[in-house]
Amino acid sequence: MTLAENLFENLRLELRRGCLTLAVLVELRQEHYGYTLRKDLAESGLAIDESTLYPLLRRLESQGLLVSEWREEEKRNKRFYRLSSDGEQMLGQLLEEWNSINASISAIINRGQ
Amino acid sequence: MELLDRYLQAVKKHLPSRRQDDIIAELRANMESQLEDKEAELGRPLTATEAGDWLKQMGAPMMVAARYQPQQYLIGPAIFPIYLYVLRRVIVLAVIVYSAVVAVVIPLTAPSGAALLASALRIPGILITTAVWVTAVFAAVEFFATHYPGKCPPIDGLFGAWSPSTLPPVEKTTPTGRKPRSFAQAVAEIVFGLFFLGWLLLIPRHLFLIMGPGAFYWDASPFQFANVWTTIFWWAVVLSLVQLVWRCVDLVRGTWQQSARAQRMTIQAISLVPLGLLLSLPGRLYVTLKHPALDQLQYGSTLDTINKNIHLGVLFICAIVVLQLAFDIGKIALDAYRKGAAVQ
Repeated sequence: MTLAENLFENLRLELRRGCLTLAVLVELRQEHYGYTLRKDLAESGLAIDESTLYPLLRRLESQGLLVSEWREEEKRNKRFYRLSSDGEQMLGQLLEEWNSINASISAIINRGQ
Repeated sequence: MELLDRYLQAVKKHLPSRRQDDIIAELRANMESQLEDKEAELGRPLTATEAGDWLKQMGAPMMVAARYQPQQYLIGPAIFPIYLYVLRRVIVLAVIVYSAVVAVVIPLTAPSGAALLASALRIPGILITTAVWVTAVFAAVEFFATHYPGKCPPIDGLFGAWSPSTLPPVEKTTPTGRKPRSFAQAVAEIVFGLFFLGWLLLIPRHLFLIMGPGAFYWDASPFQFANVWTTIFWWAVVLSLVQLVWRCVDLVRGTWQQSARAQRMTIQAISLVPLGLLLSLPGRLYVTLKHPALDQLQYGSTLDTINKNIHLGVLFICAIVVLQLAFDIGKIALDAYRKGAAVQ
């Protein structure tokens, strides 16, 4: 990997980090377990590594933004996650922030063109 | 699948024991679902190679397990800049204190070049020990700030007393375009100043340090230094101390980049006192005979020549110092005149 490619990769990861958390919170308005959540995100164009997503779910749960429960589905025990009431409130604030940033960035890009 | 079991077992070994069963159960459920999807897509079980590639894509067991751990730092990014600042200052302080102790203790206890060299060689060890202690203290601060966030004052609080009015004035750029003194240069000047002081304090007992092999001939000669040199010696010690203290104060105040002109002029002005003492010495007797009654006849004229030459030497040094001082004063006056003209 060249220096420029490495720099791009670092900046891309930095840019995606916050977005992924937001996407996960949005997706978990509906209940999911880890694998289906990952599949849904990938289908929406936001592929995420297992080793990133599964620990992220646990962290968000420990922060009180998600709740989880073990349940049997298709003869297999799975841990299902969904947004907690605190998580819903937080998601509302984050979406507001996201829309504001998005609008600002769009305005800046349009002004520059 | 045996390979998956082995993989999960390897991941489990790196997880905290309290949560490992829960994490592994969840990871297994997710991975088995993924495996099922892959096999359904292919219409057959994965081959050993395909399974190996899939697990490789998941990541090394230790790395996968590490993602489940909270992010840990020995010294986190919030306090790292403070750590670096303190480390630099403490290391400098340690070197200065050590050098000062060496400069005073060695001449009083075991005055020798070997002792001085041994002391200098101990400096790297002292630097490492100091760095380890500073790092340990900051690692402890990081630990308590992370584990007891409510009980530990916030790092930002350390700068609560900060005010823009306490900022140092803008540093003057040198009109000659020369680079200002660097921090390393300022520290090196102090350390070498301390070693110079140590060397100076050794001279009365070890004359060879200043005269080289000539010291042995001097001892065997019928001549001896007059008492005035003892006074001059202590003046040199005082001058060296004044310069050292000044440099240390500059370093502590963070003003080492400023021009050293005032410092140089003060030292030059003070050095005129011992030079004046030498020039006004009655009879210009810088060197005397050890046994005047015995040697006056044989060495009297040599003694006169030595004293005349020393007097000329002192006169020459004095002229250089006066000229340097006059040059610096002239430059200050010129700068002030130019500044005044620029304002008008």
